[in-house]
Amino acid sequence: MAERRHTDIAVIGAGPAGMAAALTLSEAGLRPVVFDMNATPGGQIYRQLAAPQVDATLMGQEYIAGRSLVDAFVTADIDYRPLSRVWWLDRDGEGYVLGVLQQGHSQQWHADRLILASGAMERGWPFPGWQLPGVMYAGAAQILLKQAALLPSAAPILAGSGPLLYLLAWQYLQAGRPPALVLDMAPASRYRTLMRHPVRAWHGRSYLLKGMRLIADLRRAGVAIRQGVSGLRASGSDALERIHYRHAGTWRSLPGTLLLTHFGVVPEPQLMRSLQLRQHWQHEQQCFVPDRDATLSAGTNLWIAGDGGGIGGARNAEREGHLAGFAAIASLGRQPTKRRSATTRRLLAARRRDLAARPLLDALFRVPEGWLAEQPPETLVCRCEAVTRGELDEAIAQGGSGPNQLKAFTRCGMGPCQGRQCGESVTRLLASRTRRSPDDIGYYHIRPPVHSITLGELAADDFDNTNN
Amino acid sequence: MFRRSERARQPGRCVAIRLDGEVVNVPDTLSVAAAVLHVHGWRGYRRHLDGTPRAPLCLMGVCQECLITIDGLPNRQGCLEPVREGMVIERQGDDPHG
Amino acid sequence: MAQDFLIVGGGVVGMAVAYGLAQAGQKVTVLDERDDALRASRGNAGLTWVQGKGLGMPRYAELSLDAVTAWPAFADELQSLTGIDVQHEQRGGIDICFDADEAAARQAEYRALQQASPRIARGFHWRYLDRDALLPYLPGLGDNIHGGTWSPHDGHCNPLYLLRALYAASLERGVIVHPASPASRVARDGGGFVATTPRGDFRAERLILAAGLGASALAPMLGLSGAVRPVRGQVVVTERLPRIAQLPTPQIRQTASGGYLIGDTQEDAGFDKGTTLTMIQALAAKATRIFPRLAQARLVRAWGALRVMTPDGNPLYESSEACPGAYNINCHSGITLAAFHAGDLSRAILDDRLARDYPQFSGERFDVPA
Repeated sequence: MAERRHTDIAVIGAGPAGMAAALTLSEAGLRPVVFDMNATPGGQIYRQLAAPQVDATLMGQEYIAGRSLVDAFVTADIDYRPLSRVWWLDRDGEGYVLGVLQQGHSQQWHADRLILASGAMERGWPFPGWQLPGVMYAGAAQILLKQAALLPSAAPILAGSGPLLYLLAWQYLQAGRPPALVLDMAPASRYRTLMRHPVRAWHGRSYLLKGMRLIADLRRAGVAIRQGVSGLRASGSDALERIHYRHAGTWRSLPGTLLLTHFGVVPEPQLMRSLQLRQHWQHEQQCFVPDRDATLSAGTNLWIAGDGGGIGGARNAEREGHLAGFAAIASLGRQPTKRRSATTRRLLAARRRDLAARPLLDALFRVPEGWLAEQPPETLVCRCEAVTRGELDEAIAQGGSGPNQLKAFTRCGMGPCQGRQCGESVTRLLASRTRRSPDDIGYYHIRPPVHSITLGELAADDFDNTNN
Repeated sequence: MFRRSERARQPGRCVAIRLDGEVVNVPDTLSVAAAVLHVHGWRGYRRHLDGTPRAPLCLMGVCQECLITIDGLPNRQGCLEPVREGMVIERQGDDPHG
Repeated sequence: MAQDFLIVGGGVVGMAVAYGLAQAGQKVTVLDERDDALRASRGNAGLTWVQGKGLGMPRYAELSLDAVTAWPAFADELQSLTGIDVQHEQRGGIDICFDADEAAARQAEYRALQQASPRIARGFHWRYLDRDALLPYLPGLGDNIHGGTWSPHDGHCNPLYLLRALYAASLERGVIVHPASPASRVARDGGGFVATTPRGDFRAERLILAAGLGASALAPMLGLSGAVRPVRGQVVVTERLPRIAQLPTPQIRQTASGGYLIGDTQEDAGFDKGTTLTMIQALAAKATRIFPRLAQARLVRAWGALRVMTPDGNPLYESSEACPGAYNINCHSGITLAAFHAGDLSRAILDDRLARDYPQFSGERFDVPA
């Protein structure tokens, strides 16, 4: 019989939500095990903050603001396991079984309680040529900035829709490498939305002001910004050579070697989908989010904190991490202390305030819902298996009526990224072709492994290690 | 290509890696994928099984576009492996390995 | 429009029969389940296989042999009609034996089968090959393997593309398919039959159940046998690797796209089609025992699927005595038998001679006398 490691409570992810959850548990005298894929804590937003390579004047205050959380996390008594990928997750009685790959060694863990804080990922958003070297996500470019202050050697072009687009442009400007052009692809109708919802605009005034300040700085420095861009293509032979975009009804084209795109972030779905948690399509965020109750619980002994439960940003993720920690402590039958109750109330109030501003951001940075259906047929949807929009439509016409039938018919979503980059696109395409809702269409069945593991690593699972 | 900013906060420690047979020094905070983008850029990073050239897209462990051979093991996710002293890295630029 | 046939089940069995009947000029409607249904058709290993079939029922071995003989023309026909290459290859196959006991038992089974049927004695060719003799067929085979049975009849295809080609070909031939329309009730209706679904009632002169595990609820409504139960199989597939000339085995085979498919597990897990860590690890260990080079290969996907199993493991082909015009078609080897289902079996249904031509396969064989 295989021996397993055991923990009262596991946290997956060491971004703001996971770190905050672990700290809360640790302060209550528990010692959670925290599994994180990265080498250092912080997640994407606070990446490399334990040993920062860039300062606040370059990154903005919000990055540096995470420092106290990271410092508290690394000094607390927490069983923190960096470079650990949870590649398997399943229910096990009232608890959970985790397959963890830590630097080539596979381990089995049983956790009585689990906090999922696996964060968000860039939304896969197909356009012609997006598979060319030289096209990268803006988030990836920001990771290079955080990891070692790396900047593009030639001025990049930024395109898409979302706050990160302007933030990265501004950071590049501060670093002396302003972008050549910013193509804002949010639908032009967004300001009308703003006018129609003055209350939302009031709740989101700090975001609005911040955004306006970034844009003003960029304009003042002479960075060209095109708003209402409605088409995007990349072309080149072995790498990106030209960028084409449609603005004010006309296609324009310019040379470029680096295109950084961003179409918003969506919850990283794989672990939640592995547990077959119920999801629903969130129309404002234009993505699937898991069902959670008021305590952030998504099932027996399971809580989801942070952007993985719906996009709320770093501050909200930190608050949710604390709240999930408190909920987990309460589930152990401990009476809430006065201080804990007061903190919970304060966090809930702050969370409500923050989330009230969210619809404004969602409305400002919408992505055009019918986009994929209008892309040329040769547009790759599944990059791994090289399946095009045209091939998907052909398979839909041959009876591919759901995401899983379509996957079977075309191999779309069968590659190593496990459908992370095409899953939402396939749901969207089916919804638009069959005039059904994304909830009705559903999503791929997510199969293990959630992360890469070789047969050798799997076969050599260190069965015989007991608790250490 | 991605160059180190003069505004980098500190010179930082470097490690020596062997990249496609050539020894190069790179900041020790980089992932393998980031190191390759730093040294060579995105051209020639990898050839996909459909024959097309590919390069890292997300750098956060999601897209599987940064696959690279590390210490003889093919198709490792370069964005999830920090560089280490003496690491041997080979781009899969010609070989549609996976 | 009056339909000649209503088929309950849009898996590879239902679609093969739908295609066969449509080829014969019949008007056919297929009612399919939702996208997330059990679907053995999307979980199987894709073998077109004779070895091991019909042990204890030689007629099934004969059908399997007929089916693989018909397969090449069937694959060509589908491709010319739909443009879809189902990646069928018939260059022989090997069933691996891990140790001497397994090797002895296997050979005894095959000999017994051949003694029971002169046709199988003549038509089914096989040989036992030890590990070294297997090497040319399975390059890189591990040391820790005893040998295996080789047979020239065996082969494989892409079962998912087969399903797609059957859909495309059926639609091309005028079959109407209603997705997300699971039948909750089937009954006689005037001179014909009716099936009740969330999307309304569907009617036709005759009705065929190709409902897989759904038959256990539906078949008794028409006096047919519901004696099927789920047997779970778990499968893992590796990333795509360079193609190597080698033969398929039930334990492991390299698919046309380059991934290695590893499976051949059997469990009673009820209707749970999930995967288990223990079994996935066992499959990884088995794969690296067969091909040690695969230790470096990444696992891309693992899944479970439910085989549709009758009490004796053999197919169920029957027409209803209580409700003439109703048929039950059920088996766990819908890929191998697809060529037969689209051919001879469809014609036997059309001419209403299932009971005459395939009496061995009636569900009556499971009726226990009181």
